[in-house]
Formats: sequence, C-alpha cells, structure tokens
Amino acid sequence: MSPLDYIAPESAAAAVQLLSEHGELASPLAGGTDLIVDLKHSSGNVQLLVDVSRLQEFRGIEETTDGLRIGSMVTYGEIMENPICLEKTPAIVAASHTIGAVQTRNLGTIGGNLVTCVPSADSAPALMVLDAEVTIAGLDGNRRIPIEDFFIAPRKPNLQPYELLVDIWIPKKAMGKPSNFSKFGLRKGQALALVNAAAALQIKEGKIIEPRIALGAVAPTPIRALKAEALLMGEEPSEKLIEEAAEVAVTECKPIDDFRASLKYRQQLIRTLTRRVLTRSVEIASDR
Amino acid sequence: MLVELRVNGELRSADVPPETTLLKMLRESLELTGAKLGCDVGDCGTCTVIIDGISVNSCLMLAARANGSEVTTIEGLASSNALHPLQEKFEEYGALQCGFCGPGMLMSAKSLLDKNSNPTVYEVRDALAGNLCRCTGYTKIIEAVIDVGRNMKAETNA
Repeated sequence: MSPLDYIAPESAAAAVQLLSEHGELASPLAGGTDLIVDLKHSSGNVQLLVDVSRLQEFRGIEETTDGLRIGSMVTYGEIMENPICLEKTPAIVAASHTIGAVQTRNLGTIGGNLVTCVPSADSAPALMVLDAEVTIAGLDGNRRIPIEDFFIAPRKPNLQPYELLVDIWIPKKAMGKPSNFSKFGLRKGQALALVNAAAALQIKEGKIIEPRIALGAVAPTPIRALKAEALLMGEEPSEKLIEEAAEVAVTECKPIDDFRASLKYRQQLIRTLTRRVLTRSVEIASDR
Repeated sequence: MLVELRVNGELRSADVPPETTLLKMLRESLELTGAKLGCDVGDCGTCTVIIDGISVNSCLMLAARANGSEVTTIEGLASSNALHPLQEKFEEYGALQCGFCGPGMLMSAKSLLDKNSNPTVYEVRDALAGNLCRCTGYTKIIEAVIDVGRNMKAETNA
C-alpha cells in the first residue's frame, strides 16, 4: 500500500470537517473490507484515511419510539447476533448472513455496504422492503432520506464527498412485518449475488396489503419492483398471483449479460427468487 | 505511529507506518509469523486472528485501527506444555496437509467454539467458509472440529 495518513476523529462533525478540508485526498474508513483491498491495488488519490468505524454516533442498535435505529458502523456480525434484529427484522439478519464469511462479516459494516453502492449490495433489498430511511451528516447538520434515494448509480451514493452515513432507520410500522430475503450466488460462501431479492407484506382480512419487493444485481442500482407490488396490492394471495407478480418483476429489471451469467439465466433467477421471497412472506403473514 | 496491543496476553508495541496492516505488524514488527499472508484481499482466511473476541482477516485491518486491542494469534493457542484440543484433534484426524491454511482454520474454529461449544456440521461449515484449503477437501478439518466440540460437551456434562 502507498503511504497514507490515518486519523480517528472524536466526533462525526470532526470527521466531516476533516473530509471537507482534504477533498479527494481523504476517504472515510469503515470496516475496510472493500477499501483496504482497493488501496492495495490502486492508490488513487487517497492520502488520508479518516477512521469513522468506532465513532459512538455511528454505532449501536436501538429500538426507539420512532422505530429501529441501526448505526452505520454496526457490523454484519453484530446484526446477526442482535436480539431486536433477530426478532423484528429477520430479513436484514438473513441478508447479513449471506455476505462474505465470518471474518469479513466481523469487520464489514452495514453502512459501508450501502456507501460502496454496488448493485449487488445484499443489505439493500432487505432494507428497502422495510421502508428504511438513512441519516446523512454534512457540514450543515443531518439530513434524512428514503433508502431508495440513496443509490444513484453503481458506486455513486447520494453523498457529497465529505458527507457521512450516520444511521439507518426502520420505521415502527415495518418492525416485525413479515419479510424474507434470498440470494443466489455461484457458491454458498463468499460469493457476490447474481440476483438477490427481498419481500415484505401484511395480510389483512385475507388480502395482501403494503406489499414490497426489492431486487439487487438486476439494474444499475438495487430497485423496488413497483409494478409487481401494485399487482399484489389488495389481492388474495395465491400461487398464481405470485407467479404473475414474479413475471412482472422480470420486466422491471435490466440485468446485465456477462461471463458470470447470461441475461436469460439472470431473468430466470429474478423470477425464481421473487416467487420464493413472496411465497415465504405470505406463509409468515398467514401464520400470524 | 505507535501501536500498542495485548498479543496473546503480553503487552507489545511497535512504531509502524499508518498504512501497515495488522498482519504486517504481527509478522514483521512483532515477529509472530504464525498468521500467514495468503491472498492479501480477505478471501483465503489464513491471516485470521481473534481481536477483542471476534475473528477477523488481519490483512484487511489496519494496525492503527487495532490499537489498544487484545489480539490472539495461533502462537497463543498452545501452552508451553500442551497443545490446544483443536491442535490435538487436527493432528489426530490428519486435518492438515501442507498446513498453510492451518493457522487461520484453527483460529476460526477456536472463535466458533468460544461461542458455540458443540456446533453442528452446518455451523462448522459456515464458520470455516472464509478459510480456504487446497489440500484436504475440508472433510477431516470439519470432523476434527466436531470432535473437539463433542468432547467439550462431554466434559461440561461430566
């Protein structure tokens, strides 16, 4: 690695200040599972690492009157062991479990996963179906946006270079909502998703309400399958309905065709995974 | 920059450049060459160490970030007069061939057993998914870890 400076600032405000002063020469450091690898292979412009991984403001998982707050610097390993996440947001736990392996999950953070902003980010679909919002710290304080607005393009999150992701909020209403996550990679361990998918829904008086479907690695950013959701809304759940929704979801995606998998194969995966997460979510909702 | 660690129970420090990984500090400054440099990108797991109770790829962690932490490396596993039960079982089962993955395999297995003393085959496979072995085909490694877990359970129940 080329020579670097390292600072671990005391507060989020100090970190933002440092990043704004150093511009492109500085980069925030979270778990480092992507960044350290990048720095080993190409130095780019980065000369200063601003370590935000242990900032108290970015840590912790708490249930508040507003909902569930997950600090951006919470690791996947911590999410997988957290009793509130296990009980109230199992889709986020399931997504975390599919990322890397134990050692990378112990370093990698959920915020880092989002800020890296790759189309296959496994935490994204799980958070999207639970209507997550994210808090972003900038020079003039914090702003809060829906997670869908956070992903602009591959490796381009909705962040100024000096801004930092503070935390992720799951609204009270989505906590405990029947949800499910599924991923297909070329291996079980340490594999990127060819397609990943999540769903969440409620069943009231025999009808589906508040349906959510999100898919990853199927477009330049993780997406919601809004037309498929609309098809489910207010309908009685059935195998046929889920098949139709999966078919519509395929038309909402723009997967690539490359050496990992052909376009046709990816479309089949979208169909299968959408069906799988919807079926499971309906089962969970029906059991209640 | 000065980095201070408690390594295998002993206070150690070194003055290293800020871009130094924990692995490099352990191997080159502290002369603990048990943790190996394999892929250097967090895929192979042979650099695995336990830091403040959790296993990490030491090739992906800056020494600076580990400052003040407690680190256990493969050198801390055996005592001066006895091997760790995992090491004994790895030997008994022939779980190592070339041995290059061994330090990481053993540290990942230790990390698992510290939390879950009697794991299932699935749990062992999941816990070792970040440790690649090109020789053994994994079967003997998994059997050895399961056996240690079984003995630990038997001892607890005795």
